[in-house]
Amino acid sequence: MSQDDLKGRLDSESRRLFLQRSTALAGMVALGGGSYVLNPKGAWAADPIKIGIATDLTGAIGYAGIPNLNVAKMVVEEINAAGGLIGRPLKIFAEDTASNEQLAVTRVRKLVTQDKVDVVFGGITSSMRNAIKDTIVNRGKTLYIYPQLYEGLECTKYLYCTGPTPAQQCDTFIPWLIKNGGKKFFLPSADYVWPHELNKYARKVIEKSGGEVVDEVYFPVDHNEYSAVVSKIMSSGTNVVFNTTIPPGTPVFFKQLFEAGFQKKGGRLACVYYDENALNITPANEIEGLASCLDYFKAVNDAYGNKLQEKYTKLYGTKNPFTAGSASTGMWRGINLWAEAVKTAKSVKRDDVATALDHAKLADGPGGPCEVVPGTWHVKMPMYIAVAKSGKYEIIEKSSGLVDPRECVKT
Amino acid sequence: MSAVPFFFDILAYSAIFVLVVLGLGIIASMMGIFNFAHGEFVLLGAFTVYMFQQKGIPTWVGMIAAPFVVAIVGLILERIAIRRFYTAPIVAMLGTYAIALALREAVRALLGGRFHNVDAPLAGSFVLGEVSISQWRSAVIVITAIVMVLCWLLLTRTKFGLQMRAALENPALARASGISVNRVYATTFAFGSALAGLAGGLMVPMYSISADMGVPFLIKSFLAVMLGGMGSFEGSIAGAALVGASSAALPWAIKPVVADLLVFVIAIVIVKFRPEGLLSTWRK
Repeated sequence: MSQDDLKGRLDSESRRLFLQRSTALAGMVALGGGSYVLNPKGAWAADPIKIGIATDLTGAIGYAGIPNLNVAKMVVEEINAAGGLIGRPLKIFAEDTASNEQLAVTRVRKLVTQDKVDVVFGGITSSMRNAIKDTIVNRGKTLYIYPQLYEGLECTKYLYCTGPTPAQQCDTFIPWLIKNGGKKFFLPSADYVWPHELNKYARKVIEKSGGEVVDEVYFPVDHNEYSAVVSKIMSSGTNVVFNTTIPPGTPVFFKQLFEAGFQKKGGRLACVYYDENALNITPANEIEGLASCLDYFKAVNDAYGNKLQEKYTKLYGTKNPFTAGSASTGMWRGINLWAEAVKTAKSVKRDDVATALDHAKLADGPGGPCEVVPGTWHVKMPMYIAVAKSGKYEIIEKSSGLVDPRECVKT
Repeated sequence: MSAVPFFFDILAYSAIFVLVVLGLGIIASMMGIFNFAHGEFVLLGAFTVYMFQQKGIPTWVGMIAAPFVVAIVGLILERIAIRRFYTAPIVAMLGTYAIALALREAVRALLGGRFHNVDAPLAGSFVLGEVSISQWRSAVIVITAIVMVLCWLLLTRTKFGLQMRAALENPALARASGISVNRVYATTFAFGSALAGLAGGLMVPMYSISADMGVPFLIKSFLAVMLGGMGSFEGSIAGAALVGASSAALPWAIKPVVADLLVFVIAIVIVKFRPEGLLSTWRK
């Protein structure tokens, strides 16, 4: 080994050490300030591409934000290990938006103005997306990718939604519910934007498919007493309860419904955000037969998803699992689609990436392939109907091919 | 026939509400402290039961342990922090709010931010013809009634109750009469905390545990105490029964979102005409 070689190796060693230490320091800073910087492993000649992750690591939505950041870290490490993108490594700038919209705006402003990230992924709730999108897209002139299933109607240039839309969650699901439950639907809901908009769409599909909506009832988001609505459901001969109430109310509602004997009398419970995380909310027997429709379940048992689950669990344990309802799949798709777009565009400039992203496709992923529908900022993906049986999901139906998001289409 | 579930549900919800308000009312009326951490004491009670279940111990054992565990936590907090607030009620509100945040976020971290169900010691329902009635809710109604009577006996028929009331009415005179006001306050706070712990333990099978489970109860509990009138134990219970019953009953008639608001409107109107509290004339 020549002297130069040795020197080169030492340099890279000390650089690696430096990087390791700075990563550790970033971690420590994160504990205090809610900001993380995760440097790419190894030594890179080129400047890193900066990825902003703005998600709720603490507070009420932390159960989804934590796996979101985990997924981002995992995918970014995979990309870096494969040589980065266009010869550059990816560096994560993560901000904890703490389930608090006001705070989030400040944090996101830091990402776009101070850290000057090339793209922002994140936001779980619609209120969070609405709070931060202007700062990112309009004032920050940065690309924004939103990963969670949501109520649709977000047609903003440079804002891509990689989670399922109402059409994807309802179009095959509701006809299935009519066939496997009955025609009379009851829509108990929490009083905020997602249930209102989802119900509007669901009602259309229910009526078009020959069903009827008995009633649509909205509760304050922290409501926890449902006897009146349960009694109405029981006395109206409702066949399907299409639930959009959210915790902390949901377990109380489901328990009261179960105790009133809804399922015993042949009723079908349906809830489109129910994933593996949600199974713990109530005892298994109280939601026996609950049907959900999402882009991925562990029970899909696909080779890609299984491999990903195995790797994720090895890295992060089982405390914050990779599930569809917590936007993990949306985050996975978001970063990978964006990476494809960067490869195609050979650039990280917003317009170049957006043009390429409009036609981005992934040949495989958890649940199956997906592709962006050009000009709509939404993603086509396969959807699955699953039913809870003894505390586990069983996949009942898989969509034939990719389901259209049906958003932002000019009619 | 639908009258049975109607009255049962109102009674069941009011019972839970009374349990939550009992502890808050005792601390507020006996000590003049508005304990913003009360919802988190309820949460700690629930968390104790959850921990017992995780360790494979039957939940009813956890429910018996919950009041004691929370009483100890309450006692420690009283000794460390709360006792410094007795002369400054506004600081007390902020201080207890800070304690609430710390407790809530600690539990959130321990629960991984998610919801977990806890089994009821009595699962299932009594079926009366067309109507089924939850066994556990029935049990909670009975336990609440017993706890209410015991509290009332404790406050009115025991030496400790007398000391407690004396220390509230006139701390200086109580001290002069040889009552350790400090100790009485600490015990009262621990007792109020224990009641919150019991409430949390009993309600967790119905509500599932999550870090935010105490939050929805807090504001309405204060409303109940305000309705009942400060300084009156019976008043707090009457206030709790009224708030609980109207919260459960109104959604049968009107939209739940409006009902929630109406509960507050009704309460404010009542306070306007009875500023001394619901039972003020009855007490005189």
